[in-house]
Amino acid sequence: MPVKWLCYWQPSGGTTVSSQVLVDLIKSIESMNGVRSGRWQVTASQHRPIRRDQAVQVECARELLGVAFSEAPNKYYFVLRPDHMVVEADSTIQSIMENLQVYRNHLTVVFEGFQYQLGDFHVKAGRAVIAHSENLRGIVLEVEYLPVSSLGKTHQLMQEFVDIWQEVAAQSMTGRIVHLEPNFGDYSLSDQYSWQHTALQYISLMVHFLSQRTN
Amino acid sequence: MECVVQGIIETQHVEALQVLLQGLCGGRQEKLKIHEICLKSGTNLGVEASEVHLLCSLSQTDPVWTVRHVGGPMRGAGAEQLPAHVRSVLESSISSNALRFFYALGYKMDYELVRIGYVFQFQRVVPITVTATMLCKVPKLHAIDEAIPVTPGIQLVELTAPASTENYSEAVGAISSFAEHLAPLIHLSKPGVPTGVVPTASTAAASLVSRGAMKVS
Repeated sequence: MPVKWLCYWQPSGGTTVSSQVLVDLIKSIESMNGVRSGRWQVTASQHRPIRRDQAVQVECARELLGVAFSEAPNKYYFVLRPDHMVVEADSTIQSIMENLQVYRNHLTVVFEGFQYQLGDFHVKAGRAVIAHSENLRGIVLEVEYLPVSSLGKTHQLMQEFVDIWQEVAAQSMTGRIVHLEPNFGDYSLSDQYSWQHTALQYISLMVHFLSQRTN
Repeated sequence: MECVVQGIIETQHVEALQVLLQGLCGGRQEKLKIHEICLKSGTNLGVEASEVHLLCSLSQTDPVWTVRHVGGPMRGAGAEQLPAHVRSVLESSISSNALRFFYALGYKMDYELVRIGYVFQFQRVVPITVTATMLCKVPKLHAIDEAIPVTPGIQLVELTAPASTENYSEAVGAISSFAEHLAPLIHLSKPGVPTGVVPTASTAAASLVSRGAMKVS
């Protein structure tokens, strides 16, 4: 599977992220001759355990994070951060978990936007919003390099692409593109990129956005 | 959803069952070896106590993990009249860290066992799966290579077929009808309804095996 880098837009001090930022970033992609190739969506959820008796503690994970990708509709992924675990399952796992009624959905973040093709690169630009609200939590950028699956072998190339994109964006915007890189090794994920890596990236980004204060 | 009937057969008659199944449906027979772990939710976890099964198929080169949740049988006067159980079943393939995952969610192992035997799959109105397996208990935690039969000399036979709320009558009819073909060797009924072995199974088995041998030679 091609390597993906997940980034977000960090506005410069004193400014907040807005939908205009996304519009400007899309213009920057198009100025690099990016060709729009469709829409994309990632749905990330935070679940909390259900206790029958609220007064009694339960020995279980306090937070269960899950993510689904429009590009991989038959799969679902879970991340347990304290246990450094990424779990891959069929999408029917969601129905199983609903039937078990042990964890309840607390919050969902939807990442969505447009994707573009630039030669051997696929680029996604979109926003992250709390589901069922227009509460914008961040601007997300994904860079995918199609020919190679090795994280190590693509690192320099991906960094160069992001640096070029940063220069183009800086012509009309203040702020910077920040690469979010989870420690894949901590989660026993190898150098060969996979959807489990992507799941960890988007969960990490959701956690980051939720930790940021909003106006 | 699925429909299911089950029964028991003496191990010495399983070869005859295989001959009969090959003759009836010509389906492919595959070996089956599954490590099954039953997990129950911990104290106070969830709306109510729940149970889930992890199945690790050991028949392939690389183990394949599945998580399975079985609901109770369909209830009501209509369901009581059916010759098979109809129950909700959900399955998902899952990565090999499934056990560690469910432990982290607060589940605890209730028991584990190993099922060893055969599976036939074929189409008769609906897809039908027949399994004949020896149930083996695991003497020490996860020591599947040391598993020993719970009832030596007896195997469990199950017929299952997928179903939906729209077609479960058809599915029940299909497996009930097929079960009748197996009557010389085995009585199949709803899970939980004791049937015992067929008294004349030895005679039927001998006939089947000799006919099977004649076909081969």
